[in-house]
Amino acid sequence: MRKGVIIDKVSFNHGKLQVLDEIYAQFPSGKLSVILGRNGSGKSTLFKIIAGLESGYIGNVHIEGLNRKEIKLGKNQEVRIGFMNQFHQTTFPYKVIDIVLTGRSAFSNFSPSKKDYEIVEETLKSFDLWELKDQSYTSLSGGERQLVLLCRVLVQKPDVLLLDEPTNHLDLNYQVKVMDCIRDLANKGTMVICVMHDPNLAMMYGDSFYLMENAKLSEITNLDTTELKQRLEQTYKLALGQLFHQGKAVFMPLINAKDD
Amino acid sequence: MKNKLRIIALWLTPILVIIGSLQLGATENLSIQELTQYIINYFSSSDLLHDVPIETILWQVRLPRILLTFLVGAALATSGGVLQAIFRNPIVDPFTLGISSGAAFGAALAMLIPVLSLNFTAFFFGVCAVAMTYAVSYAGQKASLIGMVLSGIIVSGVFTALLTVLQYLSDPYKLQAIVQWTMGNLHTASWAKLHTAFFPIVIGLGVIIMLRWKLDLLSLGDDEAKAVGVNPKWLKLILISVATMITASSVAAVGVISLFGLIVPHISRMLFGPSNHINVWANLSIGGTFLLVIDNFSRAVMPFEIPVGVFTMIIGAPVFIYLMRKNIMNWNA
Repeated sequence: MRKGVIIDKVSFNHGKLQVLDEIYAQFPSGKLSVILGRNGSGKSTLFKIIAGLESGYIGNVHIEGLNRKEIKLGKNQEVRIGFMNQFHQTTFPYKVIDIVLTGRSAFSNFSPSKKDYEIVEETLKSFDLWELKDQSYTSLSGGERQLVLLCRVLVQKPDVLLLDEPTNHLDLNYQVKVMDCIRDLANKGTMVICVMHDPNLAMMYGDSFYLMENAKLSEITNLDTTELKQRLEQTYKLALGQLFHQGKAVFMPLINAKDD
Repeated sequence: MKNKLRIIALWLTPILVIIGSLQLGATENLSIQELTQYIINYFSSSDLLHDVPIETILWQVRLPRILLTFLVGAALATSGGVLQAIFRNPIVDPFTLGISSGAAFGAALAMLIPVLSLNFTAFFFGVCAVAMTYAVSYAGQKASLIGMVLSGIIVSGVFTALLTVLQYLSDPYKLQAIVQWTMGNLHTASWAKLHTAFFPIVIGLGVIIMLRWKLDLLSLGDDEAKAVGVNPKWLKLILISVATMITASSVAAVGVISLFGLIVPHISRMLFGPSNHINVWANLSIGGTFLLVIDNFSRAVMPFEIPVGVFTMIIGAPVFIYLMRKNIMNWNA
């Protein structure tokens, strides 16, 4: 039975600063959920908690019915959670294919198997990156790197995919390319939780939306346009104008009309 | 095709160099025919064919030294490669983490207190020093790279100070032995030494060879390992322990050979690219061969024997400086 990710009364303190305050949220299975919010609002902390990188929190996190703290990493992991951190640099100039192959590490105790190579080839081909396979990762452009890293996380065939600002540092073309890929994954049944900065890009692609503000997380999926605009203005502390584009509301800051 | 050739060269070169090294020596340089003849004669039963002095030199002097040198070279290079991958920095090797000064102190201690076995004591203090380096740098939160290198310097400093105390206390004869030991002494190689060093090093290398592909993953960082469902903690612990073990065994057997484990992984990366899947083999082969060549040089070319540790330091220092300048950015990570 698929239950999605449930965040139940999760609090987190960084020293004296309360970063998360009894958060409750439910991210549905097989959907693309987006967490929005300002810099330093605690989005990344929540991301780390779900990813299992931060365990010093109070409350419970359940992923597909399993307690986060009891999910053991390894080959027989009951629910595979792949995540992609923000931009990351490597010390050694590995080939693209070697980088992606490390994504299969959980499945082979020693050297990669033939199946591992096949999955890597298949994944790289589906992203049109196969011709880059022998290039060094460090020589790629930011957008290509992001796609390669996405492939790396995907070759383990994750049930849940967590992405922290996947479109960060990317040009418009790659933003759309990466988001298209993510949308496609969600359509195929992977549960995706995405931390994003751009509410418009998020609304174009996502299924459900959450807003992080004052250490609280609230769902904003079913709000009507006016309410949504208010909430966004409140969160981002900006006056917003609203446009309609491809049948959806798009919000743009009103320049020179900042109301402080 | 090009890759295949390089891999064949990887296996063929060590064999050729080992044969070549058997021919070289202070007593007599043998031609390949002579060498083959001696080897065939050695295994023949007829007493008439035996040339005892040369056989003794080949069998009791040259062969154990060559094998021990190869083994130690392979061990130092491989462990250097492993640590560079795990600590994600091309400037780390077991010696920068304090193992040499720890082991040197242990060896000196064993020379002064005859009850202690030199091999074991050197090994023990080498491991202690590395453990201390890790402990000191983990004292904060996460071990940062700069913290690791700095605590390596501190731990080395402490053991060097203790070594100086021992040197001050020892008589001139023992002092000479201690000093020689800290410069690397391949010329004292014997079958007995080879026996002691053989099992820890071969087992250690075996573990590293089995886990070599995982080094690629570990070198991307802890979070990146968890991102694909691997807990890096145990893998790292095993590999660091094994790398320390083979280095400590090498140091216990032949003394301090500085910077060798730092340079060879760079040569391997230049020739075979960065992936550890092939690089572990390359380090093993190139490390063994290269140390053998250096030792042959100090053994046969010079009129007197220069300690091998001095050689590797002289070659290693400029390489180290070059790498440090080139990689200075990575130190902040």
